[in-house]
Amino acid sequence: MLMLTKDRALALAMMLMAGILLVESGNIPPPTSWQPYGSALFPRILLVVIGALSLLILIRSLLVGAKRPDTPRRTFPQWLAHNRTVLGLFLLFGLYAALLPLVGYIAATLGFLVTAFAWLLGIDTRRKWIINLAVSGILVPLVYVIFRYGLNVWLP
Amino acid sequence: MADFFLQALGQVGSPMVLALITIGVLFGIIGGCIPGFTVTMAILVVFPFTFAMDPVSGVSLMVGVFVGGYSGGLVSGVMLGIPGTPSSITTVYDGYPMAQKGEPGRALGIGVAASFIGTLISVAVLVFFGPLIASYSMKFRPWEITSLIVFALTLVAGLSNGALLKGLLAAALGLLITTVGYDRNSNLRFDFDLPILGSGFEILPVMIGIFAFSQLMGNLEKLRDDKSDIREVNTDVSIPYRQILVDMSRQKINTLRSSLIGSLVGALPGTGGTVANFISYDQAKKMSRHPERFGTGIPDGIIASEASNSAVAGGAFVPTLALGIPGDLPMAIMMGVLILHGITPGPLMFEQNPVLVGAIYASLLIGAVVMVISQLLLVRWFAKISLIPQQVLVPVVLMLCAVGAFALNNNLFDVWVLFIFGILGYLLWKAEVPLTPLILGVVLGDNMERQLFRALELDSSWLTFLTRPLSALFLALAVVSLIVSLYQNRKIRLHALATKGGDA
Repeated sequence: MLMLTKDRALALAMMLMAGILLVESGNIPPPTSWQPYGSALFPRILLVVIGALSLLILIRSLLVGAKRPDTPRRTFPQWLAHNRTVLGLFLLFGLYAALLPLVGYIAATLGFLVTAFAWLLGIDTRRKWIINLAVSGILVPLVYVIFRYGLNVWLP
Repeated sequence: MADFFLQALGQVGSPMVLALITIGVLFGIIGGCIPGFTVTMAILVVFPFTFAMDPVSGVSLMVGVFVGGYSGGLVSGVMLGIPGTPSSITTVYDGYPMAQKGEPGRALGIGVAASFIGTLISVAVLVFFGPLIASYSMKFRPWEITSLIVFALTLVAGLSNGALLKGLLAAALGLLITTVGYDRNSNLRFDFDLPILGSGFEILPVMIGIFAFSQLMGNLEKLRDDKSDIREVNTDVSIPYRQILVDMSRQKINTLRSSLIGSLVGALPGTGGTVANFISYDQAKKMSRHPERFGTGIPDGIIASEASNSAVAGGAFVPTLALGIPGDLPMAIMMGVLILHGITPGPLMFEQNPVLVGAIYASLLIGAVVMVISQLLLVRWFAKISLIPQQVLVPVVLMLCAVGAFALNNNLFDVWVLFIFGILGYLLWKAEVPLTPLILGVVLGDNMERQLFRALELDSSWLTFLTRPLSALFLALAVVSLIVSLYQNRKIRLHALATKGGDA
């Protein structure tokens, strides 16, 4: 059975994207009488190049064959557990971006930093809590003051 | 030019700008000395702070980070045996053994002195070659510029460690990202009926997202896989000034050669400090009367590495300022700063913004002096700072990236752009796609399309790209770079197979 390796997944994803965008490029207005080529030309060239390169990556990957992984293949729950730190941080950042306009910079950033430090450092010792709260408590207002008063940039 | 340089020196010499250069150098050294943080990340973090500044102040701050960053990797390399940045890997070969022999102050002092001289020589190279190349490239018409960009992208893609196809794919993807939104003829492209996509993506959040997320998440994954990351450092360092003077005076040729290698390598697209320090170390070893002593803690190795990686700072400015084509990631970001301030790097910059060019020269020189003073006075503190754990660093940098993306236009959409491209960058990194060609594609995309269309409007025949000698030369060089890269990839694969066979 064919295995979905990194290269194959990349090639298939890129070919799919190139296909969708090529279809979408049909909505780009055609060239006017004074233009030799229209606005769709450059992106279409790039999409064809991306499609061709992806196809080459796919063919090469099929010719070489799937490399036997160094570690046994993980089930989905095992994969989630193995990558929980990174996935959790991505999720936390997405939440932070969503909360920024709702609760404002100070509350959202404080929440993001305290939770992220707790997630990465742990919460099992008093020292870790002190580091967590001290860094968050100092940094959040400091950045606000620098941007607001030093650089005249309003934060949400 | 001398008038403009004096004028620039006057502006850079103001207390405010001097303070900014000092802050930049200090931050650069700190960024450089924290393993896994890298010069590029330090520059990305500082970038948003330049939004509200005038061009000279913003550029001076960034140049300070460059100069500090390239010398910062020395501290952790010598004190911990871990290179703070990839451009100081060979510093560890002799710096760490020398520190282990009880001479950390001597190793650091030699490194700082070599960094200083390397930076000075690279500024001289920039001052001499920058205007020369710029005046020559004034002859370039749209055909030549388009072909030159193609050449730069294929060269960078080809240098992507055995991943030519993925490098080219990344470059094309980077160029494609710039086609979203209204184009030069006010036609909408790939907006998917979402009004917010009409203005396209800002370069900054795209660049930060792609680079920062992959780098930071990669650091966390490394931490997860390598549990033996407990380090201790003795920060009791004293600098033996007399000894360093003696060491440096015995290494004049090595210092000069390494600085020139760094300047030259810095000026080539896709190379940067990492390549420079390896080539320079290798050359120093080959030219040495006692090559067998390299790696045991001798001044020669530290000087070769540090002079070359610091010289990259000045050399890398040559193609960015003279041609408008950045050679590596830090320079791509620097170009972003200039574009943000309404300045288009390229041959005309020397004519249109001579004071700003002078300010870059002056900031490099002043930055080098500040770097020496800071390193010598604060080295023990830098060594302590290099122990900041990634678990603290990563959330802080992510937060600063978000604030920086927002501050660009006071627009939350840019924070989402940062996040989406962060995910994309991370996934591409996991698929072993080199990210440098992608970011260069993002930076050069607009200009490439503009030049291509200008060329086609002037002459609708594509053959003109091949009939104009310089344009044809650049395209031929692009093909040659691809062939060389294919050959090297094949060699790497055969070597890997042979090693595997040998192991078995």
